[in-house]
Amino acid sequence: MNTTVKQMILLFLISAGVLIPSFSFCDDYMNIDEEAFTKKQRPFVSFNHDEHNEMAGLEEDCALCHHMYEDGKLVEDESSEDMACSECHAKENDPKQMELAATYHKRCRECHVEKKQGPITCGACHKKVK
Amino acid sequence: MTDSTPVPDNEIDDQGIIQGVEQLSPEKIERIINEVLSEETGAKLKVYVDTCVHCGLCSEGCHYYVSRDKDPKFSPAGKVKQTMWEIMRKKGKVSPEFIKQAAVIAYTQCNLCKRCAMYCPFGIDIAYVLSVVRRICHRLGVVPLYIQDTAHSHSVTGNQMWVKDDEWVDTLMWQEEEARDEAPNLRIPLDVEGADTFYSVIGPEPKFRAQLIYQAAMIMNAAGEDWTMPSMPGWDNSDMCMFTGDYEMMERLKKMHFEAATKLKAKRIVMGECGHAFRSVYDMGNRALGWKMPPIPIVHALEYYHELFSQDKIKIKHKFDRPVTLHDPCNIVRGRGLHEMARSVVNSTCKTFIEMTPNREHNYCCGAGGGVINCGPPFKNARLDSNKIKAEQLFAAKAKGAEVVIAPCHNCHGGLEDIIHHYGVDMELKFLGDIIYEIMEKPEE
Amino acid sequence: MHDIYAILTGPLAWLSFAVFLGGSLYRFISLYQLARKKDGAVFQYMDLKFALRSIAHWLTPFGAKNMRMNPAMTVVTFAFHIALFIAPLFVFAHVVLIEESFGIHWFTLPDSVADILSIIVVLSCVFFFARRIMRPEVKFLTTWVDIVILIIVAAPFATGVWVFHQWAGFPTMTLVHIFSGELMLAIIPFTKLFHMFLFPFTRGYIGSEFGGVRMAKDW
Repeated sequence: MNTTVKQMILLFLISAGVLIPSFSFCDDYMNIDEEAFTKKQRPFVSFNHDEHNEMAGLEEDCALCHHMYEDGKLVEDESSEDMACSECHAKENDPKQMELAATYHKRCRECHVEKKQGPITCGACHKKVK
Repeated sequence: MTDSTPVPDNEIDDQGIIQGVEQLSPEKIERIINEVLSEETGAKLKVYVDTCVHCGLCSEGCHYYVSRDKDPKFSPAGKVKQTMWEIMRKKGKVSPEFIKQAAVIAYTQCNLCKRCAMYCPFGIDIAYVLSVVRRICHRLGVVPLYIQDTAHSHSVTGNQMWVKDDEWVDTLMWQEEEARDEAPNLRIPLDVEGADTFYSVIGPEPKFRAQLIYQAAMIMNAAGEDWTMPSMPGWDNSDMCMFTGDYEMMERLKKMHFEAATKLKAKRIVMGECGHAFRSVYDMGNRALGWKMPPIPIVHALEYYHELFSQDKIKIKHKFDRPVTLHDPCNIVRGRGLHEMARSVVNSTCKTFIEMTPNREHNYCCGAGGGVINCGPPFKNARLDSNKIKAEQLFAAKAKGAEVVIAPCHNCHGGLEDIIHHYGVDMELKFLGDIIYEIMEKPEE
Repeated sequence: MHDIYAILTGPLAWLSFAVFLGGSLYRFISLYQLARKKDGAVFQYMDLKFALRSIAHWLTPFGAKNMRMNPAMTVVTFAFHIALFIAPLFVFAHVVLIEESFGIHWFTLPDSVADILSIIVVLSCVFFFARRIMRPEVKFLTTWVDIVILIIVAAPFATGVWVFHQWAGFPTMTLVHIFSGELMLAIIPFTKLFHMFLFPFTRGYIGSEFGGVRMAKDW
């Protein structure tokens, strides 16, 4: 990692350290792939991983999201929890990370629409910090 | 006429319209309207009506609207709303009473001057839309009496003023004789084959303003022009049928006029200082006959004068010394872009030239054009009330020192004369030809 | 909510685009054929140079006398039309949706800019509405359809701002936002909004007439 990225991450961690307590987050909440999005327009999506999967009944089905592809083919019975989504889905030199954002949107929303549950509109996930 | 009662302001007193409407039935109205709309109009009208977003920005373009204290009924789109929108919305199912109002609006509340086309952001040719309304009224036989009379004259005699064939030649010979007192060798050459210039005038010239023919002959003579005039019908370039919506007659008239010139193998037509006649030969009539541009070069008097001065064909004794202002006639300015030539001629002939504002393409109409003055006395008061702004414009030019208004157009002359009298503007009105005649060097024999 | 969302973003979205494109194409072709049949002269006088000359003058702010006579209207009209096109085409939230569906994306505006542009559109519509009811010459011409169209045009932008700022009830408002946008698109071919396509032709024709035949300016 070059120094700029390191500095940015450091800067982010510091600011997160200052901000998170004031947002009264639980520890369970995670901000998705924060490092990948350097240019942020909307508030970050705070995602309670365990609660979501409990409600959705997904405890055993990690690969539904954490899938694994090889040569463009889905590898059955393999999952990728140890990787960040951006490792595959992020583009280099794209500060807006349009494709990565689209990947997240599709992953969440398509499922929510299909199951008729969960947030589907922009603001329902990208909640404004009050 | 002792038992006559005054007609209320909101009523009209025109037997052409009143009697025409009496003969209408709803069925006839619907049939004729749909014939005109489906046979004679197409995408252009549809697009013009559909594209108008009702923004009202055309309003300031209209001297009726401005003069009538911004009464929305007189705005260009307002007039279309009261006529064509209703006609199209109801698919021709409108009442005789509606047609009566539509005729009054289309014939007497719009000069077809096309100024509003320059104010509409979409460039909608509102004058065209109102011409279609006139066309419908004509087909329904609802046309103001006075202008219909001139249209009848056109169809019977080939000229606007019931001038008989022998009276025409007599008038020319009379003017020739008069002019020979001043220029002994002057001729008004009749029916000369192969002349450079075929000179045509409007019907009212031999009827009321024969001195204009005299002046034109003097100017042509002094310039050494190889010119001729026809002895037979076709000499009148005017066209009230174009304004009543009688396009069949308009075509006949333009054909007569073009053929009179081509029969004599003339190289070009030079016409007198008339605007609407120019519109009829350069814009409407030639197109109706299928000519993209006129079949023979058409030269308006103003262009001709410009040629005389730019080519030094004529000498002047001295410049006209009273301060003048210039009225830009719609049909040769918005119709032909002669405004800069007009200024050049005015500057060649007059010492002091004072612009009126607005000017050039943006000049206010005289209020007489489009056949409105030809609708005659029943509409005269309304016409003058509808052009207060012109009087104000003239007053402003007068305040800057102008004493004489030059109007190189017959209709404008008529309109401005009425305005000058009605509003007490007290300015003198002249044709350019009047001034040139007055100051030019007349060849001594 | 989910069902409505699925319909709005699925079949209705396709329908509105289809109606917009199909309807516009249909109107174009039918007008062209009618013009060929009845207004042959129009094609004779159309002149690219003069058409563009006229269009250029009228697309330049204050490029025509009438625009100088109505400065407020000129400023609002230009701001409105520019914002009306720029905001929806380049707002990030729209472009990312295109990326999700079609895998393509283009330049996007910062959200704050898109927000301001949308507010400009809404305020312009308020101005137009005020003009319609307050100026006698405009009121005289105004029909209820004009008012409805104005509301339909303002709606996607007003709801867009609402949703962006996450004011009360914004999830439902998102649905209204999507629907009103689709509605606006779908009515274009059948209402005065079609002027967006006819403008170059009406302007171009009068420009050709004035330039080529009348040798005069038309601005």
